[in-house]
Amino acid sequence: MNTISSRTTASGMTSLRSIPSLDRLGSVLALLIGVALLAAPFITYRANRIVAGEGRMLADALPSKPAVAVIAVVLAIAFCAAFVRKPLVRLGAAALGLAAILPAAGWSASFVTPDGNAFARVSPSTGFWLLALAFALLAADALARLRLGPWARLLALAVAAGAVALLLASGAWDDLSLLKEYANRADSFWREARRHLWLALGSMAAACLVGLPLGILGHRIRAMRIAVLQGLTIVQTIPSIALFGILIAPLGFLAAQVPLAAALGIHGIGAAPAFIALFLYSLLPVVANTVTGLDQVPAAVIDAARGMGLSRRQRLVQVELPLAFPVILAGIRIALVQNLGLATIAALIGGGGFGTFVFQGIGQTAIDLVLLGAIPTVALSFAAAIVLDAIIDLTQRGAHDRH
Amino acid sequence: MIDIEHLTKRYGATTVVDDVSFRVEEGTVAVVVGTSGAGKSTLLRMINRLVEPSAGRVLIDGKDTMTIPEDELRHRIGYVIQGYGLFPHRTVAQNIATVPRLLGWDRRRIAARVEELLDLFQLDAAEFATKFPHQLSGGQQQRVGVARALAAKPAVLLMDEPFGALDPVIRGKAQDDLRAIQKRLGTTIMLVTHDMNEAFHLGDRIAVMDRARLLQYASPADILTHPAEAFVEELVGTTERPFRLLSLTTVQDALEPGSAEGQPVPLSASLRDALSQLIWLGRQALPVTDSSGAPVGRISVDRILRHGRADP
Ligand SMILES: Nc1ncnc2c1ncn2[C@@H]1O[C@H](COP(=O)(O)OP(=O)(O)OP(=O)(O)O)[C@@H](O)[C@H]1O
Ligand SMILES: [Mg+2]
Repeated sequence: MNTISSRTTASGMTSLRSIPSLDRLGSVLALLIGVALLAAPFITYRANRIVAGEGRMLADALPSKPAVAVIAVVLAIAFCAAFVRKPLVRLGAAALGLAAILPAAGWSASFVTPDGNAFARVSPSTGFWLLALAFALLAADALARLRLGPWARLLALAVAAGAVALLLASGAWDDLSLLKEYANRADSFWREARRHLWLALGSMAAACLVGLPLGILGHRIRAMRIAVLQGLTIVQTIPSIALFGILIAPLGFLAAQVPLAAALGIHGIGAAPAFIALFLYSLLPVVANTVTGLDQVPAAVIDAARGMGLSRRQRLVQVELPLAFPVILAGIRIALVQNLGLATIAALIGGGGFGTFVFQGIGQTAIDLVLLGAIPTVALSFAAAIVLDAIIDLTQRGAHDRH
Repeated sequence: MIDIEHLTKRYGATTVVDDVSFRVEEGTVAVVVGTSGAGKSTLLRMINRLVEPSAGRVLIDGKDTMTIPEDELRHRIGYVIQGYGLFPHRTVAQNIATVPRLLGWDRRRIAARVEELLDLFQLDAAEFATKFPHQLSGGQQQRVGVARALAAKPAVLLMDEPFGALDPVIRGKAQDDLRAIQKRLGTTIMLVTHDMNEAFHLGDRIAVMDRARLLQYASPADILTHPAEAFVEELVGTTERPFRLLSLTTVQDALEPGSAEGQPVPLSASLRDALSQLIWLGRQALPVTDSSGAPVGRISVDRILRHGRADP
């Protein structure tokens, strides 16, 4: 059995056990899958959008034959998670599991909704989410064990995004409450999506434009570094709502006093304070990492560069910044992921973004509307983290792996 | 040629280089030795103005370095430090091309120069040009560091413990290579080291420093036979003294007429090597041959021993 032989070679000792050995994370996941399957409803059915719903187990959510098939597949994956150690097999199992339960959720929505009933709502429930979580963890664990290179990780992300796009485009989920919420406000969804991205990316770009020079100065001038970093650390500790509040007054004053500012769309509430708050939040990681990255450049390298007659500027551009670049990028990654999440709060002061749906949903106790805002936000942060990590890896290649 | 005139460096109240003057002749190697913290690196770094002198001046080929813009001065002076400071994000070829690129050489000239230097330092261009520093061994990094410093054909090369990071076996070879290249190119070198053997092996002149002061600047033989102060004598090592002296002298200087039995010794060998052979073979004298193998005389233990004393 491959599990035993791989164990033997790994430890260099002969295993005396004859039963297949358990994978620790895998057995927890198998347990999770078991609970999700046997003790939690797969979907929730509600007569209309806001009333309390009733749960349906997977066996009752689909016609009997497909239900049995899906349950069999899920159980097989639980077994695989517990006993099979080959990462590629585990990754395949996780993908198969998602490929089974995602369409199944959509199908069950069509199955349990009475024909012609436009008010009934079907949402994925605890069981579905637990299964999705278990498969996602299984996939993440397998991917980590595979130690994929940056290009392979980008490819995996593209494949996952493509699969989700296919699922949505196929219409398999159209009967789910989440997509009904979307269908009702498709226009505003994409408008808020653009707004969300603009807020997060724009404020991050501004933070880079300001933060890089600040970081360079901070690296060179000690007193300045301390002042800037401490100031930004304090900003970072202000809760976002409070920061918005703090910005409303001066921006409102500015808009009232300076007609140009108002004409540019700067008001006490709306996108301007949100943009500025996000900008301030993302300054710290950018500045701090620029300072750290520049500090990390080996002293001998700087000394040699000076000794060969590189001017200050040449040193900065040709030596220091390229060597600090991966660390600076790591700061930008933190800022971006943080901004994509924080931009949700902008909706509270009329700044728009995916937060709009989250707060509307909370107000209407319509959980699917909350998800319509939350899921894209999480997906964006996740994708941004993967893409930037890959870029960081790529910039580090060929340079110094030995620090 | 480097003229150091009354060079002084103070940090606040402490003087780390105190009124040092000496001349390094064109095409020779001056080695600066001394205890840690004596001010060797500071002295060296004042020559390419990485450290601004508090007083005194440096002339290179008769020209005051203060009259040359800082970066321009450094383009003309090679600089090698312990650890080499190779640019980790650049290939070997790009590292070597650093100063020529700053000087705006055209691409073909740079490529030709890089190839020439790799060749000179016995690094196969096809294999090494595109490697990154972390892919090289310590000895290879050292050679790239020196090649980079020599890229723009500087007349003067400053080296601060350039062999300090090498293990003893590679270090000896690296020193021999440097000496050969220096002879071939006629570069004027000022080198800082802790290692007395290195100083005697490489130096045409040795400058001994202690606590900011220059104690003696003389040829290796003079340093051994006429130490200016007790500290110099101590630093050189009294037990090593005769052997150092013998390795500085060649068989040529102790040649006697006549002949002897046994395996011949070459004329260019050091007296130390000749003595070693005499002891090993248990003989009082051995024949000496010139580079063509023709016998030119003999070398005897008596004569060699006389050369191991201060006044032969
Ligand atoms: N920038 C500086 N500010 C203050 N003191 C300094 C500075 N640079 C060097 N010194 C002091 O000057 C003295 C000489 O330093 P230097 O580096 O020249 O010594 P060194 O002979 O090269 O020693 P080592 O053999 O250990 O390299 C030391 O005591 C050092 O602490
Ligand atoms: Mg030093």
